Amino acid sequence: MSAYAALSAAGYRAYTRDKTTLFFTFAFPLLFLVVFGLIFSGQEVDETGRPYISYIAPGVLSWGVANAAVFGVAFVLMQWRRDDLLRLIRMTPTRLSAVIGSRYGLALVIGLVQAAVFVLTALLPPFGLELSGDWPLALPVLLLGITAFLAIGVVIGSFTRTPEAVAAVANCVMVPMAFLSGSFYPLDAMPSWLQTLSWALPLRYFNDGVSAAVTGDGGATDVLAACGGLAAFALVFGLLGLRTFRWSDRT
Amino acid sequence: MTTNHRPSQATDAPAEGAPEPAVVLEDVHKRYGDVRAVDGVSLRVGRGEFFGLLGPNGAGKTTVVEIMEGLRRADAGTVTVLGHRPWPRDVQLLPRLGVQTQASAFFVRLTAREHLRTVAALYGADRARAESTLAAVGLTEHGDVRVDDLSGGQRQRLAIAAALVHDPELIFLDEPTASLDPQARRDLWEVLRGLKGAGRTIVYTTHHLDEAEELCDRVAIMVRGRITALDTPHRLITAGATTTRLLVPAERLPLPTARSLPGVLNVTTDGDVVVLETEDSGPVLAAVAEVAGLEGVRTRTPSLEDVYLQLTGTAG
Repeated sequence: MSAYAALSAAGYRAYTRDKTTLFFTFAFPLLFLVVFGLIFSGQEVDETGRPYISYIAPGVLSWGVANAAVFGVAFVLMQWRRDDLLRLIRMTPTRLSAVIGSRYGLALVIGLVQAAVFVLTALLPPFGLELSGDWPLALPVLLLGITAFLAIGVVIGSFTRTPEAVAAVANCVMVPMAFLSGSFYPLDAMPSWLQTLSWALPLRYFNDGVSAAVTGDGGATDVLAACGGLAAFALVFGLLGLRTFRWSDRT
Repeated sequence: MTTNHRPSQATDAPAEGAPEPAVVLEDVHKRYGDVRAVDGVSLRVGRGEFFGLLGPNGAGKTTVVEIMEGLRRADAGTVTVLGHRPWPRDVQLLPRLGVQTQASAFFVRLTAREHLRTVAALYGADRARAESTLAAVGLTEHGDVRVDDLSGGQRQRLAIAAALVHDPELIFLDEPTASLDPQARRDLWEVLRGLKGAGRTIVYTTHHLDEAEELCDRVAIMVRGRITALDTPHRLITAGATTTRLLVPAERLPLPTARSLPGVLNVTTDGDVVVLETEDSGPVLAAVAEVAGLEGVRTRTPSLEDVYLQLTGTAG
């Protein structure tokens, strides 16, 4: 078995045996869907006349997937370093690419399953999402989105030393970004300067891309633009992640 | 450098027929801020040698071992391990080294067996090695227990197993017997002797001096970042100016009588025994036999522990 396969298997087992995290990874976005569904039940967004669900579902979906990608890898890297497990791996001939690669593979699977569960739930009558025929375009967006947010998670997991620090930093990054990128609230309803600011946030591109694919609004051009933005963020944070990565907290 | 015991030529030379020494440190320094953790350490570990590194906490033992492992970079001096420089990370060298991990370094929520199989795979070793290594450290029965549920001693043995699973040439162990019960300790001694018998080189740190005396070909005693003694345990003990002690039941030997015996340097009482210190135990023993009889009399010859306490005590 290769180092990559062994680390993936170990990661998969650790993940599926942690029922609490497993449950909340998938239940958290659904919870938001239910809460926002209840709040805005039957309302339509001004100006566009589209049902609120078509705004909220893609936003909550991309936020949930991004959140899981950031938290998952950040916690694991911090914990592995703190427990000296990274030190163990460092003393084997395992390449860093196998370590990060195994987490990447796991994050992709989790993200795709999350998306499938979420969309299938949103299609149910109480929510009433209408899926566009362009939905397969969401796959490249999800792929790049998970990549970008995993890279952000690597950066966070590399400079934090405790679970509390991971939670604090990751929440500080992800919660304001969720609001500023229109995950929970239509951007159209925000001041124009905030809308402009949102272009500096990776979640904005993730939301736009998923939204365009799922609702069919904007189509391939919007999806392409979103993919471009996410790829750029993935590259920047990926390089930053490689620079900040440490095998040990000690020098 | 304050060298109480110079390493002798004979023991410092690499083992005969060996292509190169397993480890060579030359004037290695490492400081953390103002603390000189390692302050000019030079030593050589031959192939197939069982080498012990002793010293009080904070003496720099672990830092020296981590420099050998390539986990830390020496500030100055040269480090050669199996003919390679261990720093920076050298993936050619790493599979030849076995490193006992910290007792926390386990893949969470895996069983002991799964953990060891994962480590074996990381080294590119055969999957079957995991099973034989589990058996070697006596964990076969606990193979299906989650690592989080293992006892302290079991975790320790699993951490040692991670150092052996890929059959390395050079094994580093950091206080491997620290939290083991006496039986598990003896069992591990057998494992270590077996590894030495198979030609492996072992470098290890310990606080158990009886164990070092029992297992090691040579020991280095470190105090404050320096090596103050380096030799075979036997030579260290012989060279140490320690005395033999005779322990005589107190009721049979009054203190004044004890003090008057020829050759006795010092007399103390310890509970219900009188302790006589002497450099030449033969005549003293004969004298004790005459005045008190030999029943219940015990002799304590100097051990590595006496030498150790002397060296670390005077230097510290």
